[in-house]
Amino acid sequence: MAKRVVITGVGIVSAIGVGKEAHLRALMKGESGVGKISYLQTKHTDIPVGEVKMSDEEMKLLLGIASESVITRTPLMGKIALKEAMQDSGITDASRVAFINGTTVGGMEKSEKYYMDFFEGKNTDYIAAHDCGAGTEMIAETFGKFDFVTTLSTACSSAVNSIIMGGDLIRSGRVEAAIVGGAESLSKFHLNGFNTLMILDRKVCNPFDAQRNGLNLGEGAAYIVLESEESAKARNANILCELKGYGNACDAFHQTASSPTGEGAYLAMKKALEDAGLNPEQIDYVNAHGTGTGNNDLCESVSIQRLFGEKIPHFSSTKSLTGHATSAAGGIEAVISILALLNDFVPGCCQFQSPIEETGLMPVKDCLKNVDLQNVMNNSFGFGGNDSSCIFSKIR
Amino acid sequence: MRIFIRSAAQISIQNPLCDEWFENPISYSQIHNRSIDPDFKAFIPVMEARRMGRVMKRAIVTSKSVIPEENRATLDAILTGTGLGSVEDTEKFLNALLKNDEEMLPPSNFMNSTHNTIGSIIALNFKCHGYNLTSAHRGTSFDTICFDAYLQFLKGAKNILVGGHDEMTADYFALFDQIGFWKKESFTADILKESSTKGTFAGETAVSFWLSAEDGGDSLCSILGVDLLYKPSQQRLQESLDTMLAQNGLSKNDIDAIVLNCNGDVENDTISREVAEAILPNVQQLYYKHLFGDSFTMSAMGLYISAVCLHRGEIPAHLIYKNGAGNKRPRTLLLHNHYQNKDHSFMLLSV
Repeated sequence: MAKRVVITGVGIVSAIGVGKEAHLRALMKGESGVGKISYLQTKHTDIPVGEVKMSDEEMKLLLGIASESVITRTPLMGKIALKEAMQDSGITDASRVAFINGTTVGGMEKSEKYYMDFFEGKNTDYIAAHDCGAGTEMIAETFGKFDFVTTLSTACSSAVNSIIMGGDLIRSGRVEAAIVGGAESLSKFHLNGFNTLMILDRKVCNPFDAQRNGLNLGEGAAYIVLESEESAKARNANILCELKGYGNACDAFHQTASSPTGEGAYLAMKKALEDAGLNPEQIDYVNAHGTGTGNNDLCESVSIQRLFGEKIPHFSSTKSLTGHATSAAGGIEAVISILALLNDFVPGCCQFQSPIEETGLMPVKDCLKNVDLQNVMNNSFGFGGNDSSCIFSKIR
Repeated sequence: MRIFIRSAAQISIQNPLCDEWFENPISYSQIHNRSIDPDFKAFIPVMEARRMGRVMKRAIVTSKSVIPEENRATLDAILTGTGLGSVEDTEKFLNALLKNDEEMLPPSNFMNSTHNTIGSIIALNFKCHGYNLTSAHRGTSFDTICFDAYLQFLKGAKNILVGGHDEMTADYFALFDQIGFWKKESFTADILKESSTKGTFAGETAVSFWLSAEDGGDSLCSILGVDLLYKPSQQRLQESLDTMLAQNGLSKNDIDAIVLNCNGDVENDTISREVAEAILPNVQQLYYKHLFGDSFTMSAMGLYISAVCLHRGEIPAHLIYKNGAGNKRPRTLLLHNHYQNKDHSFMLLSV
């Protein structure tokens, strides 16, 4: 019998605020953090994004980090989220705890600024801060000591994959607790990248709508504290909910597009259900990947129909509120799913008007309150068809 | 648990897709080196190859070389370690971005720039819908993936492809030169061993392994344990090794050699030697980066050379870093890797 993995803490930073209380308020009200670019230096100021409403300097101040210290934006957000998650869990000694971070853009937001300088021997401290693992280690330093630290990078599903590895790590008995999730800042590099793919909406995105016109990029960081039930009980921790199951599958269809049958998404969700030992009808809410692009939302809808048949659970995408925080998205949405589960509400797709013709699926539009939620599913899909899904359940 | 390495393939600065390095290694005295590529046409249709960077082509070739056609679609997992993914594509997109002031950019370079492009292009090629994961954690990217493979086998996986892939472009080489990654002076493999200066020399990595829960009768060797540790004390390293040995009913006396990541960088090598002396005093020490250069995932080459030595029951003299106790026909090897003395890993291998 595999060990039961529970959640004893969460921490979150995104376009809709800092901390879980701010998120709970914004989600219930349906307040979007997507708007005009004000921190990222780019000429594409007509593209709306979901920025964390703090400059690097302000984050350094909040964290008590010297203004001149060499640190990129991703770890700054990561440190804020990690601190909250650790405090929430009450874990003070991390010396036998794992930290698994999902990220892809790494320190690009500084590299693109200083790239030409680098070759002239200027600002070279940022060269070693560029790779994904560098950011992870800067975040890990917040607590001085972890027993196991690594970085996963599967583009937009990175954070859910770190949840999956954390679950496996605890089930194997290697650690009793693992802090998992992801962090990612906006960069000119990937804003332009997504722009060349012509999938950025010029307005606030509208997931699962017939008229959807692309995604809004976002940024942020979010972590959840996974712990074996024995360990959480032994230290009298406040157990929030359970990580009931998870699945990862590859669409193996195209580098950046999803297959028309949503094969990878379908398999990831199916594996998660099997792992959780649940039937499709036991899922009460799906926090979908729902980016707002024509391709993703259609394929995800098809995969949801394949899995759930006639009885489609409540589903929505919260990306019109937070923007698509790429590698951090799965962490942010895991925390949102947990907040929904614990507070019995379903956040909505505020912009929604008319369903996708091919499927006719109706997402939740306005936040539903007082819904009895037992099991919620969180989907995250990445470039290359790296699709992952996880399920959180109430402990009754 | 015993995981069998059914086959392994490498493309590096030694002759590719073979083990000529074992008898006749090529020696290098240049600091920036690119791999000796095989004829890609024999493995990848020309039209398809045109859309791929070198790191992807090499990954496809080494992956195809180790996984028989009938096992490709049904792999339980495709696991990839890469420090920086497709650097060539990332640099092309970044240079265009800066040069063209955010206009007229090549989408394909962006699409190929994410680290998971390598693992997903293998899945696409193999039509494999299994678990697919990429780790990008500095010098232990590949080690993380081996650790995850271990977790997947614990969960009942039967066949897994693991790979370590990194390339070294001119720009990337120049940037890392700025922060002291490379030697300033010319060198030879012998000098590397006694080096008292900072820096190493650059190679590229493309190594793939077919890992299986079953022996199949033709395995190179088996993996008995994998562990990753962050900023461990000597005591913690010791504890990790003891646990791994105990789980396999082995003792330290069974270990015939410790394989180190020594690369000629005095700071790196001092740590490696200290770890070796502390946990396995007097046991013979092996190294491999003097033949292959260094990259974020060069530890994959460490696993490769160890598997070959165990399979052949022989340690070539050129791999010996320091003589010591241990069978010259090795049966059990311990691999130790570390990155800047923060990330450490162990892998325990046996025949």
